Formats: sequence, C-alpha cells, structure tokens
Amino acid sequence: MNCEEIIAQGLKLAIMTRDELHNQRLLQEANEKAAHFLTRRHFLKESAMGFGALALGSLIGGCHLGASNSYAQTLFDPAHPLAPKLPMFPGKAKSVIYLHMAGAPSQLELFDYKPDLMKLDGQLCPQSLLEGKRFAFIRGVPKMLGPQATFKQHGQSGAWVSDRMPHLSTIVDELSFLKACTTDQFNHAPAQFLVHTGSPRLGRPSLGSWVTYGLGTENQNLPGFVVLTSGGKFPDAGKSVWGSGFLPSVYQGVQCRSEGDPVLFIKDPDGMDRDLRKASIDAINQVNQEEYKEFKDPEILSRISQYEMAYKMQISVPDVMNINDEPQYIHDMYGTQPNKACFANNILLARKLVEKGVRFVQLFDWGWDSHGSDANLAIDIGFINKCRQVDKSITALILDLKQRGLLEDTLVVWGGEFGRTPMQENREGKQNPFKGRDHHTEAFTIWMAGGGIKKGVSYGETDEIGYSAISGKVTPFDIQATILNQLGFDHEKFTYQFQGRPFRLTDVSGSVINDIVA
Amino acid sequence: MKVVFTSKIFLTILFFVIVIAVYFFTTSSKPVDFNSQVKPIFNKKCITCHGGVRRKAGFSLLFRADALAKNESGKAAIIPGDPDHSEMIKRLTLKDPEERMPYKHEPLSKDEIDILKKWIKEGAKWGDHWAYVAVQSVDVPSKPDWAKNDIDNFINQKLIEEKLANSPEADKATLLRRLSLDLIGMPAPDNLAKNFLNDNSDHAYENLVDSLLASPHYGERWTSMWLDLARYADTKGYERDDSRNIWRYRDWLINAFNNDQPYDKFLTEQIAGDLLPNPTDAQYIATAFHRNTMTNDEGGTENEEFRTAAVLDRVNTTWEALMGTTFACVQCHSHPYDPFRHEEYYKFMAFFNDTRDEDSYGDYPLLRSYNDSSQKKLNGVVDWLDKNVSSQKAKEAYTFLKTWQPSYNTLNCDSFTNSELADTKWTSFRNHAVCRLKNVELTNKNRLIYRYAGYVNSGDWQIHADNPSGPLIAKINIDTTKGGDWKIAEADIKPMDGKHNLYFTYQSNKLKKPTDAGAMLDWLYFTADLPGKEKSGYSEMKNDYWKLLTADAPTTPVMMDNPSFMHRVSNVFERGNWLVKGDVVEPDVPHSLNPLPKGAPHNRLGMAMWLVDNKNPLTSRTIVNRLWEQLFGTGLAETLEDLGTQGVPPTHKELLDFLSYQLMNDYQWSIKKLLKEMVMSATYRQDSKATAEMIGKDPFNKYYERGSRVRLSAEQVRDQALVISGIMNEKMFGPSVFPFQPKGIWLSPWNGAEWTMSNNGNQYRRALYTYWKRTSSYPSMISFDATSREVCTARRIRTNTPLQALVTLNDSSYIDMARHFAYRMRREAGSNVEREISRGYELALNKNISPTKLQALKKLYDEAYDKMKDDKDKTCEMIGEMNENDNPETAALVVVANAMLNLDELITKN
Repeated sequence: MNCEEIIAQGLKLAIMTRDELHNQRLLQEANEKAAHFLTRRHFLKESAMGFGALALGSLIGGCHLGASNSYAQTLFDPAHPLAPKLPMFPGKAKSVIYLHMAGAPSQLELFDYKPDLMKLDGQLCPQSLLEGKRFAFIRGVPKMLGPQATFKQHGQSGAWVSDRMPHLSTIVDELSFLKACTTDQFNHAPAQFLVHTGSPRLGRPSLGSWVTYGLGTENQNLPGFVVLTSGGKFPDAGKSVWGSGFLPSVYQGVQCRSEGDPVLFIKDPDGMDRDLRKASIDAINQVNQEEYKEFKDPEILSRISQYEMAYKMQISVPDVMNINDEPQYIHDMYGTQPNKACFANNILLARKLVEKGVRFVQLFDWGWDSHGSDANLAIDIGFINKCRQVDKSITALILDLKQRGLLEDTLVVWGGEFGRTPMQENREGKQNPFKGRDHHTEAFTIWMAGGGIKKGVSYGETDEIGYSAISGKVTPFDIQATILNQLGFDHEKFTYQFQGRPFRLTDVSGSVINDIVA
Repeated sequence: MKVVFTSKIFLTILFFVIVIAVYFFTTSSKPVDFNSQVKPIFNKKCITCHGGVRRKAGFSLLFRADALAKNESGKAAIIPGDPDHSEMIKRLTLKDPEERMPYKHEPLSKDEIDILKKWIKEGAKWGDHWAYVAVQSVDVPSKPDWAKNDIDNFINQKLIEEKLANSPEADKATLLRRLSLDLIGMPAPDNLAKNFLNDNSDHAYENLVDSLLASPHYGERWTSMWLDLARYADTKGYERDDSRNIWRYRDWLINAFNNDQPYDKFLTEQIAGDLLPNPTDAQYIATAFHRNTMTNDEGGTENEEFRTAAVLDRVNTTWEALMGTTFACVQCHSHPYDPFRHEEYYKFMAFFNDTRDEDSYGDYPLLRSYNDSSQKKLNGVVDWLDKNVSSQKAKEAYTFLKTWQPSYNTLNCDSFTNSELADTKWTSFRNHAVCRLKNVELTNKNRLIYRYAGYVNSGDWQIHADNPSGPLIAKINIDTTKGGDWKIAEADIKPMDGKHNLYFTYQSNKLKKPTDAGAMLDWLYFTADLPGKEKSGYSEMKNDYWKLLTADAPTTPVMMDNPSFMHRVSNVFERGNWLVKGDVVEPDVPHSLNPLPKGAPHNRLGMAMWLVDNKNPLTSRTIVNRLWEQLFGTGLAETLEDLGTQGVPPTHKELLDFLSYQLMNDYQWSIKKLLKEMVMSATYRQDSKATAEMIGKDPFNKYYERGSRVRLSAEQVRDQALVISGIMNEKMFGPSVFPFQPKGIWLSPWNGAEWTMSNNGNQYRRALYTYWKRTSSYPSMISFDATSREVCTARRIRTNTPLQALVTLNDSSYIDMARHFAYRMRREAGSNVEREISRGYELALNKNISPTKLQALKKLYDEAYDKMKDDKDKTCEMIGEMNENDNPETAALVVVANAMLNLDELITKN
C-alpha cells in the first residue's frame, strides 16, 4: 500500500458506520492472516519480488471485494479462496464432524423411550393420527408397533438409551440430545437437502460449504471440507448434498474415498515417482516465473503457489487417509476393518482429519431406511446390524477426541434426515414382510457433543407414543443456526449475495437452541 | 521555507476555490439526477425498510406513486416542490434518535440531505434505472490515432479520464491464440494458423477473424457458453437423476450459431418455436431450452409441486439469462430494489404456466424424430388427410403422430380404490379397482387411443361418466402385453357433450392375489375416428397412421401449450408458496418495461416478440455484455446476472449502449457481426503485458489499458490439450459421450447407472459433448468451475485451486494426452530433445520458446531420462502400453509434455 492509499484508507475508515468498521477490521485481520500464511511458503522465499507482489495482490483483492458493505462479500478472494478467516465472533468450535445416518434411523429403537407405545403394539392406529397426514408408504390404517429394543437409563444424566447402543450408553454424559426434532420433508432426498442446505431442493450450498467459505481452512495441504461415505451407496440426495450451490465451487465438499485415489487425481501417474513430480513442478513453476517477469500478473504467482500446494497435498492427503499407522489400541477402540470402505474406518479418518486442521468432516452411512420391506431393512434385523456397525466407533470417536483435548473445539453432530413412525409400515395397504417403520416428519432425535455444547442434556419431548413433538421442538434450521453459532457465526447475518438478494443457510427461519449451548 | 509555506497556503486556497466551484457547478446549475444521485441514497439508506419487502409505516420508495402517496400517518412523505413540508426531510433531520431516520442507523450526511431537498424542490422527478430505459443511439466520442473502430473511441475516452494509456498490439502468435480460443474455443487448425503467421498483409488479421467465424467449431464454442444458461444436462436431476435424451437441442444450438441465426429469431424459437405457424422439427427442438428444467422421478413426490418448480425455473431463467435481471426474488414479494411488483411475477409466470408438461416420468410432451422412410409415410398421411378431409384434421394428425399430444396423463387420476399411482407416476389397477380422471372433454369424441401395460389376460376396464356407476362409455379388454411392456391401442367410446369426470373400473378373474396389479395406464387420447373412410386410399393411410403412432422413434422433450379444453388457470402464490393461491392472473409483462408489441398474442409467442422488440431495454444489453465478458473476462457491467440497481454499474455504459444499438439496428441481431466488431477493435488486440505501475493503477484492468489475461474455461482446457496432443476427434453432433472418468464416481441410489467409457475415438470428442449428469458432473471440469447445471448459471466464477493442478497433472485423460503430445513432438521434430521441446511449445503457443524456458524443460527431461534409462518398468508405465514408443527417450518426453500442459501460459489466454 502506498502513502496515498493509506490516507485514502484512513479517510474511508472515518466515514464508515460501525458495522462497516467492524467488517473492515475483520477483512484486514483476514488479510493479515492470509499474508502471514503466505510468508510460510518456502517456495516463495526463492523469489522476494514474487512474494511482495503476491501479498499486494491479495490486499488489492481484498479491498476490491470489500467495497460492498456486507460482511459476506468480504470473504471471497478468488486468488486465495481458502485462506483462513476469522468468524464474526469468537466461536467455541473450530471444526465439525457431522455423522449422518442416511435413510433415517429410528428414534423409537434408540433414544426416545415410549413404554406406552408397547401397550398399543399390534392395535390399529387411531384415525386421529392419520387424518390429514401424508406418509411415504403407509396406506389405509396401519397397526402400532411397540419399541423393538430394551431401554435403560444411563450415566449421571440418566439418559435413556436402548440396548442397541451398548457402547454409546457409557458416554451419554458427554452428549446433548435433541428429542423433538421435526422436519417438513418425508422423502429422503429433499429431507437430506433440507438438513444440509436449508432447502429441500437442489441448488443451495451445503453446511460444510458455508463453513469453509466463512472460515477458510487451517491446513492448506488438505481440503477444508471433506466428505466420507460408507454403506455402499451415496445418500439419496447425491453429491449435491455436499455441493457449493451458488457459492464458488472451491467450497464444495471434497469426497475422500477409501478405494481408488483418496482424493480424485491425487496420485501421480504410474512411472512418475515423487522426485520426478517435484522436478516437474519445479520446471512448471520456473517457466511460470519467467512468464510472471513478462506479464506481472499476480494471478501467475497465485498459480505457482497452487502447484506447490498441490504437491504438498499429494503427500498429506494419502498420509492422513492412511489409518494403518495408528496404534493397535486405536484400531481396537474404533473397531476398524483393514482396507474396507466402512463406517468405523471413516470415523477414525474423521478424527485424523480434524486433528490435522480440516474444518468440516461430513460422514454419510447408507442403510438406515428400516421399512421392513426386506431383512436388511427390518427394524429387528438389519437395523441391529447397522447399530452394531456404528455404536463402538462413534463412542470411540468421542472418547478419542476427549483424550486428545480435541472435543472442546470439535463439534460432533449425529442424526438422520427425519424420524420413523410409531406405526408399523403397511406398504400400499398390506403388511410388510418384516417389521419396519415408515418415514416420519414430526419427531426424531439427534444429538450433539463437544464444541461448546452442554453435556448430559436432554432437550425436548415427544408425546407418550413418540408421534409428535410436544415441547422443545426444533427444526433443521435451528440445528443449522446452532452449529453456525458454535463456530462463531450469526446465522442471520452470514449471507451471500445471489440472484439479487442476500441468501443465508437458514433462509428465513431458525434460532440458536440456547438450552444446549454451554 | 517561507516560500514553501505560502505556496502551500496558496494551494490550499486554490483547492477550496476549486471545490466550491465544482460544488456549485454540480449541485446548483445542474438539476439533481435521480439515478446517479438520489436512488443510490435510497438503496443504501432507506429501501431495506421502505421498499418492496418491508413498507414500514406504509411508506415505500420503490415507485413514485407509492412514495408520494399518503402513509399510515395520513401525511405524504414527499411533497414535490416543497422540501420544507415533506415529512421525509423532517424525519431525516430530527435530533430525537427515536424519531430520526434512518432508524437506529447513522444519520444521512448533510450532502445527502441537500441532494434530497434539492431533488424534492425540483419536483421529485423519478428517473428510470439506465437498464430499464430503451437503448438509444449513442454519439461516438472522438477518434484517437490508435483506434481501429468505434469501440476504441469509447475506451479511449475513459482512459483519458482515468489518466491511463492504451497498450500496443500483441504479437501475432498471441493474437492467433487469443482469437482462436475466443472464437472457436480451441487452437486454430494448422492451415489457418500458418496462413495467418505467414501473411504480412494488412488483411491478415481480418482474414483470420473471418475464417474462424466461418469454422464449424465456432458453433460448438458458443454452444458451450449457452449450455450453462440453458442449464443443459443429459439427466433429469433430483434423486433418481435418470438419463434424458435432449442432445438434439445441443445440436440445434450448434447449427443456430454456425448459421448465425439472428439473435431475435434464436430467442423466439427457443421460447416459443412451437407456437410459430406450422413449426418445423428444428423449431420444436429449439423449445427444449425450457425443457432442460428438472423432472422429479422419486416415488412419493408430488408431481404438481415439481411441475410448478419447473415453471418458476423457466421464469427465473428467462429473466436471468436473457434479460440480466434477478427476478426470483419477486416470487415471494415485490422486488426489494427494482421496479417489479409481486403480482407481475405471476403474470409473467402465466406465459409459461399453461404448457402440457406435468413432471411426468416420460418427460411428455416429446417430439418424435422419424427416420426418412417414416417421415415419408407421415407426409403421405398428412397430405392424404389434407386433400381428402380438411387441413384441420391433417394438422391434428400431424401433431398427434409427432408428439402423442394432447393426451391426458394418468398421473392426474385420483380417488383410488384398489388402485394407485404406481411410484407416483402411472395409474395402476389391482382387482376391483376404481379411480377417477377429472374434467375430460368428450364432445365429438368417439375413439380413445391409450398407452398401457397389461400383466394378466382378460382385464375388464370400464369407463363410466360422472360416477362409478354412471353411464358406461367404454368397455375395454386388457390382455397381457409382451414382457409387460407399454403398448398403444384404441377403443370405441360413446360420445357425450361437454366435460365429465371419468371413473375407471377394472377387474380380472385372472388376478389371484388382491395385491397384484393387473394393468397400468400411461396416457389417454380422446379423439374421433380417423375421417375419410369413404375415400380411396383410406386403409393404407390408416395403416401408416398406426405404424407411425407405434414406431420406435427417438424423442426430445419440447414445449407445447395446452389446448383450450385443458387450459390451466394461473394464480399469484401468496408469499411464493405454491399451495397458497391468490388472485387469478392473465399473462402480461411488467409495467415498468416496454409493453407487449401491438398485435402480439398474450402467450409465449407474444412474450418472445416482446423480448426481442427493439424497445426491450434488457435483451440486447444482456447479450452484448455477455459476449464482451466471454472475450475480455469481465462484462462491461460485471454482474451479467443483474443489470438492475443492485448490480455493479457498467464501467462503459455508453459503449454497452452503443453496441446494443448496433446489434439491433445495423447488425440486425447478427452475433457474428457483433463479435467481429469486438475482436477487430484495437482494444481487443492489445498486449496483455503489464508493469507494476499498471497493476497498481488498474489492478483488474477495468479500463482496458492492456489486453485481458483470463484463465481458460473448463471446456477450453480440455479441448486445447486434445488439439495440441493431436488426438481430438472433430466429429460433431449426436448423443453425449463418456470420456475417461475414474471408477466409483457414480454411486446413484436406486438406478445403478454406470459410466462406461466411450471408445472408437469418442473418448476424444470436444468437452461440450461430454455426458452431463446433474448429481455427479464430470469431475475434472467441475474442478475448473464448470457447474452442475441444476439451474441457470449466468456467470461462472473463476477460482484458482490446487485441485485444478491435480487434474491437469494426474488425471488419466491428461496423462493420455501428454503421451500423444510427446509422440507428436518426436514425430514432428526428430530425435533432438531441444528441437522436440521447442516443437511442442510451438504447437501449443505458435511461437518460439525462450532459452530460459527451454532450459528449465530440458533439465526436467534430463532428470526424467536419468530415471527412465535404466528402469524398463518405469518407462513402460509412463508410456502405458507396449508400443513403438516404449523407450526411455519418449518416456522422459512424456514427463515434459505433462509439465507443458500445466504451464500457466497454456491454462491462461494471454
């Protein structure tokens, strides 16, 4: 910045409103942090001129975009889209691990204990519960289905957990249960979109994208937003559920895979070893330096640093994605299965990723859609297996994060896209071959832990058969608002200008669930 | 010291004198300009509470009539000519913070208040935002000596104002590459390149421009751009995201661009080709523009909800893509900033709301494309009917055979007993089924043609009018269809007058279990017997008619309006909620813009005529701005998607208007002529080299003091590499193709679709032919900021990330191209490494490599060669297969070729 610019800057500051000043300060801090970050790049030390120009480029970029008076507009610098940024206010969580059980697990077999429902088991559902309601598959008059698990209270908090989750029941005092979650979407894809993007339709940015957009990433050698899937299929909503919507595509979730390249195209081609790759990136960057001398375009310097980062990512991604180096007791604790794309491996990866500074880790586990249409989807067969697959590893995650001192600033969220009916599903009016429950929008349970969430709390209640939320009702928007709050964002002010208006994750609704915020 | 001091004082006084003079000049002598002085204050300080969304105290500043009207207080906030009695001024100047406006915000500055006072004093004249005023002819500024055409005169004027200077012309090699990438999206064919580089005449550049504009690749390049606007994809979207055959629309675009179809016709056919007199197949296919909306095939979803979503998307896309206006916000309330009212959104929506499509699984209505012999038959049928019966009947038969319309989709059935909407797509009958189809027009219909599938024999399907035991109008036997496939059949029905609710009953003694389905219905076409029975040739004609009707013809989804008996009423949706219907509305355009042209019908065709009317202020500006952005990297107004008051104001408004006027008048909407004007300018031809000083003064090259440097688009990155490596398959048109994609990218629930790589050269087609799956788009292109095309993308935002580097470094497609690039270097430059690398550089950039660059790449070659020379495995891996290139020299050159495809010079357009 030259003298004139500094003076101009001062004048500008003098005429700014308080909000604008605040934004300006944040922007400046973000830029300083970005500049500081750049100094650490050894590659650029080779070219003092290169660095100066790059830092200047980033400042100019920031000022240019900072011209708008919205907080959000200051966040995107095309030259350094993932530079670490400060939130609106100091957040309690630095990263998020979101465990999504795709298909929607039954709250009635896990956390929402309803002895009265047992008494009604096998009886026809009262008309009052059916009138004016729509279900995905239930037709005519279904029968009630009592809880297909045994419940007990656990821990100091006395939380009810069924015998389907024997491990998790030992750590209930770390968790905050939201027992009266509701949604208005009863099909998987729209409901998943609602949970993750704030809209039931395609096209809005996902929670992880918003967070990466707002905070950048701590570790430039890894993607800021990582997605891991298990269960053999993607969630019904497809890849758009971790898409960036109208945000720049750089903020979309990067799917890390346990088969093939962990990140697409991360592996050098056959025949090219690391030394040769290094040599080739050196050659590319050397030619690009020549190019820069001629054109003086800061974008060239940015490209040089992106190639350097790509090279580092090639080392750090396979490294972090390799769980074999973890000690045996950790493997035992999580119940991992070597060389398999399974949930336990993914959840251990999630821990490794947040440990390395990844901002948002999104897990999807497919297979929770317990309709009772076949054995795998039976509430008393397949569902038990699914619980077994996740119980131990989720418990291990919480304990492991805790022992590493990471739980304090890592927010863990567990849940599905909706709940399941207290009635047994009767697809097209006839009894399903196995016991199962239909999609249900009016009550389900999710829980959160760590990241500044209260411990051992159970918030919200459903009626005596678990059909409707009666107190402490929350929507996906409230959950999103709370997650953003823990990260240091006011969900009402965290916006992005699109189609002529500022958009936010929670659209026009949502409020922070203060009862579970520590 | 003293001298300095006095001169300082003198300068200070001089400064104040100038400031005061300027103040008087600008504020006193000239009347206040609403758009540049008043509206910005409103937008920044007032309109959040007093606009289209919130109207606190009943006061809104969006329209003049509202602003001058009495508010809740009973007083008018603005009294023209009388600032002192205008409540607004009073409230802006009060001391009490509870009363003073803006409420709980910083007060307006004195200057701002003075502007508002003066504006009211002068009559509170409202001005229209520049983009909503019809384009007028513009005076061209004076010509500087460096100018090549009028564009430069405008650019020069701004450069002088900003105290900047233009740059000299770039060298020929750079111009060649820039022009080729811009006009055809890939490097120029060898012969054009050679001709240009060897031609030192004055016409060399213009000849190259003309040749590129005439190249068939021109159409492909501009189609690539248009596909984002049309949200073109090869799948339907949403959860199932199954395939959709709509590539004929992509091919239509290529032809339209190549034929330089005038932009007004180009738009008219896409919006309303089906409503033109006797539409051709091509005109029907053009309307697929708005059939690229998504269709939801997920079971249990409400078809009407997703039909509505598609219609709203058509409205939003029409405005955003074609008129640079973000209209979507008017869906829920009046526009917060721009002069569009809530109900006007729905009036506009009514243009699109009366179409035949209903979110059906079949994507109806479809245009059926016949092969030549079938087409001959069709002409025969139509001619026969025309000659022997009437042109009306001939037309009806033509439409039905081409589109199976107008038919009733059975997804509209309801009141199901022992029947249901199977997977919410088709009406399905179990034993003793009853269901209803409402409001069917039966006047003069004695024949029913229907599409069905039968699963058992002896199904008795009866149709009763008005109630399940009402008059029987048809009794139809349904047998098993082969393999349970769909079949088309016909039956007699008893004609009745007017519209009736039809009740379908079905039973079959062959159905054993009460849960089994006996038959399923797709659509029903109520008609009259094929007329002309007594005329000669009838039976042959009828025979052909049925052959055509049931022929296996490839299809494309198209737009079609409902016939009057199927008319769909349009309503305002209260707060944008489609379930809460407000007032009924008729199709119309917003009042703040030009009216519908005289004689234009109140349908899509009339709307298209309005859209391309020279009085429409937005259409020409939007396309000019977009084409400029494609060439220069940034639009004359940066926000292509929003020319409204919230968009970024244009840097060169007069130039934008000048070119828009030219386009409509002098060029008669010719896109090629407009592009030629742009690339012939000296502004376009400037060198893109900068100095630190230039970067400091104009970091984003807003004033065009130098050529623009722009990263290539996702499509260009791929196409360029294919051309350089010599393997591009230049085949045009046809179904989309599947180039290499890593395994495991598609894991779609329910449909198990798989990516099977194309072969026979189809894997080397241009990027725009790549199969586009919405929920899982081609990953390497997505990395380079291509979009998934769920909705219209008016502007791609370019990013620069390490994931892009990984694509061009490691993606097997790029390794494959690097191999072929290396083979080509060897083939064309013999076995001298320096010569080979130089040749490669020349192939890529049409110029000689500098010694330092050559040295860097040669060093890489040497290191690679050292690794390869004693390592047969590495060599073989690098070459990928056992062939004549399986030697360490070539393998090392592949490493170099891979590096070259990653150079900034290649990824960027200089």
